[in-house]
Amino acid sequence: MKFLKTFRFFILILFLTIHLPIVQAQGNRDFMRETGKINVVVGVILLIFLGIIWYLVRLDRKLTKLEYQLNDEKK
Amino acid sequence: MWWKALSVLLIIYAVVAGMLVPLKPGIIYLTPETAKTGKGPLRFQFHGYNSYYTKAESKAIRVWLQYDETQAILGQELTILNDTTLEASFYTPSMLPRESPSVMLNAIIDHPSDGVSLLPSAVELRADTAMFTTPVLDGGIDTMAFMDAVTGEYVFSRLSAKDWRQNPVENLHIVKDISFPYRNVIYESIRNTYYHVPMWFALMFMFLASVVYSVKYLRSQDGDDDRKAVAFTEAGLLFGIMGLVTGMLWAHYAWGAAWSNDIKQLMTAVALLIYLAYFILRASFDEPEKGARLAAVYNIFAFASLIPLLYIVPRMFASLHPGATGSPAFGSQDLDNTMRMVFYPSIIGFTLLGVWIAQLRYRYLKLRDKVLGIY
Repeated sequence: MKFLKTFRFFILILFLTIHLPIVQAQGNRDFMRETGKINVVVGVILLIFLGIIWYLVRLDRKLTKLEYQLNDEKK
Repeated sequence: MWWKALSVLLIIYAVVAGMLVPLKPGIIYLTPETAKTGKGPLRFQFHGYNSYYTKAESKAIRVWLQYDETQAILGQELTILNDTTLEASFYTPSMLPRESPSVMLNAIIDHPSDGVSLLPSAVELRADTAMFTTPVLDGGIDTMAFMDAVTGEYVFSRLSAKDWRQNPVENLHIVKDISFPYRNVIYESIRNTYYHVPMWFALMFMFLASVVYSVKYLRSQDGDDDRKAVAFTEAGLLFGIMGLVTGMLWAHYAWGAAWSNDIKQLMTAVALLIYLAYFILRASFDEPEKGARLAAVYNIFAFASLIPLLYIVPRMFASLHPGATGSPAFGSQDLDNTMRMVFYPSIIGFTLLGVWIAQLRYRYLKLRDKVLGIY
């Protein structure tokens, strides 16, 4: 279940996008479809930003672990 | 390092320019969407997007309902209601350009300062079956009369069947400015080209670098080469996941479903799983060197399967994804010159960011292996 734990963020995003209601009638527009679907672009940029941040957090944690190991060895 | 700054600058440029440059004017829809031929003029309302109809006089604007390259009806008595709405009357010939119950017509607006905008299949025009199809009174080129089968009255139509060819779409204003093309259905989300597509370019460069270092490792047995291969694979996989997720978000609003089992989506998912298995394979060996050697061989096979999975198989089946013909990123169908000015810098920016991420990962791995005392 380590896989699920690591990718829980992306799985959450997937479910969010899948379960948003699909409204295709003209004039009946939700937040993502108003003003020419510009919010889809905002969403894409946010996802990329969050993906990079997620990677940074992972690397940060690994480095912290390594620092502990180094400190233990010195003692 | 200069290239790290360059990557940040290029990405900032891609976000700012990609978001701020406006779309070209377009037509969102026409009202009514269906009409019958024959009975006098049909009045249509054109609803524009990003348009400035009031910037020109109504005489200077021309509108058409177009069937094909030679057959179209020119709109008459044009009135501009506001910047995004205009109305025009169409004297439709009672006969359709093709013998069928109905035809789909494209809407075209030619505006001196906005340029040309087109909406494919904007209106469905139906033949009026209640009318005689043969004229009972031919008043020359301009006037024709038909007898209404129901009321028995004469109905005058100003154009006859041959007049579909009288006002072909020509002498259009081609406006060159800094703007992105207007595409029906995707609208503003065409800007995703600068953020979603570079993910896949970055992924390709990362996996290419990774396979190069894997081959190098097999020849040199130098742990550094292996660590570089791991770092590049991981960066590539990160871009792959981001590309897939952003693609799903885009697909949800452009195709109607986040995951439609499209061949491109399926093959991409398979490719990413193959690369995910690379890390599982490495981790499943107790001796790091043995795992590294096997993973390097596996990486070569993974890269060899990546090319058909991403570029060959999706082209052999029908796909919703654009770019299945020709060279997707360099062809003229999906990109125009203004888009290239943002698209290519974005690719370079994200690729350099990927190298940066891979470099951080490599430095971490080197440090870790030193601490753990592995080769």
